[in-house]
Amino acid sequence: MAADEDPEPGPLVRMFAVTGGRARPVGEAFDVIAVVTTIGMPYDQAGLSPEHLAALRVATRPTTVADIGTRLRLPLNITRVLLSDLRREGLVSIDPPAATAGVLNERIYQEVLNGLRAL
Amino acid sequence: MDYARSDTLAIKILIAGGFGVGKTTMVSAVSEIQPLSTEELLSDRGARVDDTSGVEAKTTTTVALDFGRITLREGLWIYLFGTPGQDRFWFMWDELAIGALGAVVLADTRRLGDAFPAVDFFEQRRIPYMVAVNLFDGARRHDPAVIRRALAVPGHVPLVPCDARERESVKEVLLTLVRHAREMSRVGA
Repeated sequence: MAADEDPEPGPLVRMFAVTGGRARPVGEAFDVIAVVTTIGMPYDQAGLSPEHLAALRVATRPTTVADIGTRLRLPLNITRVLLSDLRREGLVSIDPPAATAGVLNERIYQEVLNGLRAL
Repeated sequence: MDYARSDTLAIKILIAGGFGVGKTTMVSAVSEIQPLSTEELLSDRGARVDDTSGVEAKTTTTVALDFGRITLREGLWIYLFGTPGQDRFWFMWDELAIGALGAVVLADTRRLGDAFPAVDFFEQRRIPYMVAVNLFDGARRHDPAVIRRALAVPGHVPLVPCDARERESVKEVLLTLVRHAREMSRVGA
């Protein structure tokens, strides 16, 4: 198919297609800065969209939901739907941010202060 | 729960305040990336048709969520989120505020009232926050005590002047906020 005869669909159409029309992620909600890490690659890529695969590649290094959305040039809630699919398939882990996980302790506060001073 | 990857930490700080007060400027001043705008696609939740008379009613709208990032070390990031300035996107704050280390309320002395809703929001949710008074060129210098009274900000909440364009000034604001948040966590607030 000649690409120039098939102009890009509008962004809304494209997003709708990416999630199959779904607006809400499956399973437990996760934060915009939850850290996503790829923990497996699919044996069969048939059920996954190019966007799913792109997200898996980005998250081979732990990456936040917000950064994945930016890399994929997708809105946050669309990104969340895709990531929730990958989590359901056991391909990514999604860890809550420090404050939610209750791990914001004295040591981390100090590390953040030191890091900011050193900027 | 598995926090084996907890050496990877992302910390969220909100930059709140009225529309046009300089939130994005503040994020830009310290972010290592151009403030990125990740669009949040809203459907029915945001479809309250209010004072947008003359604007074609849409069932889907997008609201830009500006954010910047500071890498403190490999695997330790601060994310700065500029909260949407329009009141009708307030419900987004709730979600953003969960798990935030704290918030900076950016205030403009010419429109102090615009900072009220943000102060109120963080007070009610007991989220550590501070007020940074953005000193625009030509902005009149105000007595901090007067601003504190005007905004009904309690004495323990830091209130400092800043220049949202200046990296060092914004760094100082963030240091103040993190110290304050640490203090709050110590007293178990």
